[in-house]
Amino acid sequence: MKIQDVIATINQMQAEGVIDCYAIGGAVGATFYLEPVATLDVDIFVAFRAEPGAIIVSPKPLFDYLKARGATMMGEYIMVAGWPVQFLPPGTPLVEEALGQAVVRDVEGIPARVFSAEHLAAIALQTRRAKDKARLLQFIEAGVLDAQRFQEILDRNSLVDTWRRFERQFLGEQQ
Amino acid sequence: MNLQKILESKRALRQVHAARPIAEKLRMLDVLREREVAIRGTGTPSTAPGILREAAVPWHPKSK
Repeated sequence: MKIQDVIATINQMQAEGVIDCYAIGGAVGATFYLEPVATLDVDIFVAFRAEPGAIIVSPKPLFDYLKARGATMMGEYIMVAGWPVQFLPPGTPLVEEALGQAVVRDVEGIPARVFSAEHLAAIALQTRRAKDKARLLQFIEAGVLDAQRFQEILDRNSLVDTWRRFERQFLGEQQ
Repeated sequence: MNLQKILESKRALRQVHAARPIAEKLRMLDVLREREVAIRGTGTPSTAPGILREAAVPWHPKSK
């Protein structure tokens, strides 16, 4: 199983017009900026391409493409290169913005489109699960966030109060 | 035992890992997942009730 093969497959899908654009999120996305943390799956955020004449945008062409190339469905995941991959639409304005402003990183000659560190941190703040809070603290501790860019994302997405609460709860002693 | 010193050394180790080339870090994820699967005995995140798992972002289609 190789995550680089997953990225190469997604790039191929984009090159062949199956998807418009994509960005890697979740723990795999965070690994582009932080130390690697064990994860079981890969979260790929995609703008699904509308089928001609269809009112509802469907992920079906994407699954058909992968299944034709040997990928198998496993619950809500599709197995690509040995990894369970979850394709997710941008369900909030923040994730939509993150998808539009994703950055391209080179992985030994393979381009990988990944959420910016600031967007990953803001998404973690918005999602608010325990592991997201831990991830946000990792981003802060690692010093990889551009403070101004992060603040602008918080402002645009009505996350300023949430950030203040997070600061009080976890960063109080640093104030 | 100096807890502060221990925490600092852990932080330094994390920074060393974070600074590795991305391809190397992704290979580490491959290995970490293999290990996780071996321990759990399953290749996909569990959907059993009561088990905490990463939830998908809710999908709200744009209204025109």
